[in-house]
Amino acid sequence: MHCNACILMTENELKNIAYVTHAKSSLNTHSVEVIGEFGDKTPEAIAEELTRVLRPRGYRLSVERMQKNTGWGDFVYALPIALALIIGFLLLQKAGLTSLITSSQVSYGTAFIIGLIASVSSCLAIVGGLVLSLSASSAKEGGTWRTQSLFHLGRIGGFLVLGGVVGLIGNSLHLGVTANIVLGSIVALVMLILGINLLDVFHFTKRLQFTLPARFSRHIVQGSTHEHYLAPILIGVGTFFLPCGFTQSMQLYALSTGSLVQGALTMFFFALGTFPMLALLSFGSLNIAHKTWKGLFFKTAGLIVIALAALNLSNMLATTGIINPLFNF
Amino acid sequence: MLTALAISATVIGIAFWIVPTNSEVDGGGLPAPTAVIIDGTQIVDITAKGGYSPRVVVAKAGIPTVVRLATKDTFDCSASVVIPKLSYQKFLQPSGIEEIQITAEQATGTLQGLCSMGMYNFKIKFEY
Repeated sequence: MHCNACILMTENELKNIAYVTHAKSSLNTHSVEVIGEFGDKTPEAIAEELTRVLRPRGYRLSVERMQKNTGWGDFVYALPIALALIIGFLLLQKAGLTSLITSSQVSYGTAFIIGLIASVSSCLAIVGGLVLSLSASSAKEGGTWRTQSLFHLGRIGGFLVLGGVVGLIGNSLHLGVTANIVLGSIVALVMLILGINLLDVFHFTKRLQFTLPARFSRHIVQGSTHEHYLAPILIGVGTFFLPCGFTQSMQLYALSTGSLVQGALTMFFFALGTFPMLALLSFGSLNIAHKTWKGLFFKTAGLIVIALAALNLSNMLATTGIINPLFNF
Repeated sequence: MLTALAISATVIGIAFWIVPTNSEVDGGGLPAPTAVIIDGTQIVDITAKGGYSPRVVVAKAGIPTVVRLATKDTFDCSASVVIPKLSYQKFLQPSGIEEIQITAEQATGTLQGLCSMGMYNFKIKFEY
C-alpha cells in the first residue's frame, strides 16, 4: 500500500463483502484489521478469500508480514532509459519546431498545429510532466480508463468553454507573470513529490503525508468505483491555467477575436492538437501499469518526472532573478 | 551496474553537448554583436521566436538604450518577456515590435531577460 487512497480502497472493497462487519487499514504497518463472520475457517483461508476480492485492485493479503521489495535492480535499466528520453526531449527543443509556424493568421487549422507543436515543445516539461506524474500515479493506485478519459474530456471541454468566455468578455483569463511563477513552482513541487513516490524508494515521503490528502484521494478513488466524475474533470479544466507560453498566446488570440464562437473554437482546436501527445502519456501509463515490467516503467517515469520538476523549478527561480538561468534552449 | 553507470555518464555528456550551459554560450564561439548608437540613443535589436536571437549583445554602459524586441508569428514562450532587474514583464503580440526603454542609470552591468517559463533567455552586457 502506498497512500491514503489505498486505505480507502481496501477498506471499501472489504466492507462490501457481506460477512465483513469492520475493516481498518493502516499505511504505517501495511496491515488491515478485519472483523466479521468467518465461521471456523483458518486465518490463512480467510486471507486467501479476501485476496480474491482485492486482487483486481492489485493487493494481496497474507497472515505473515510481507518483505518489502524495493526493486533496486530496476534502476540499472530505468536510469539510462530515463536519461535517453530526457535527451530526446532536449533534442526536440533544439529542432526549431516553432519556426514551422509561419502563418500570422490563426485559422482553426493553425491552432491545431500550434497545439501539436506545443505538446512536444517546452510545454511538455510542465503540462506533459504533470500528466505523466498524475496518470502514472493514478495507474499505480489502480485508476481506470474512465479516470484518464474524464481528465482529457475536462481539458478539451474546459478549453472550449473558457475559450468562449475569454472571447466573449474580452478579458484575458491568463495569469500575470507573478502568478505564473507561483503556479509553476507549485506544479513543479507536486511533480517532484509524485515523482519521488513513483520511485517507490523513499518511504519517508509517504509518512510525511506528502501524498494527496485523504479527502482528495477519496474523491479520486471513489471516482473510479462510484459515480463520482468531478475530480479528474476539474483537474483537466485546470490545465487551462497552467503556465505554458503557447497556451497563453492562444488565449491572447482568443481574446483578440472578441467572439464567443471563434474564441471557443480556437482554444478547442488548440487543445485537440495537444491531445495525441498527452493521450499517449496517460493511456500509455495505464496500459503499462498492467505489464510485468511495470516496476521498471514506474521508476523510469519517476526519474523523468523528477528531472522535469527540477528543470521547472530552476526555470522559475531564474525568472524571479534569484539565480542565473542554467540552460538556454 | 557498472555498464549502466557508464551509459548514464555518456548520456549526460551528450545532454550538455546538446544544450550548452549559459557560461559556455557566453565564452566561446563568435564575438557577441554590439549595439548601434543613433543620435545618442543606443539601440539593441533582438528577435523573439522560439528563443531570443542574438542571445548576447554587447552595449555601451551609461547611455539611454532602447531594446527593440521583434516578434513574428511568435506563439511560444519567448513572447512572454520578463526582465527581473527592471521589474519588466509583458506578453507581446504575436507579430510586432516592442520597445523597452532603459535609462542611462539602468544601463550598467549585465541585463538578463527571460521568457516567463525561463527556458529561453538573452543578455545585454553593458561595458565601459
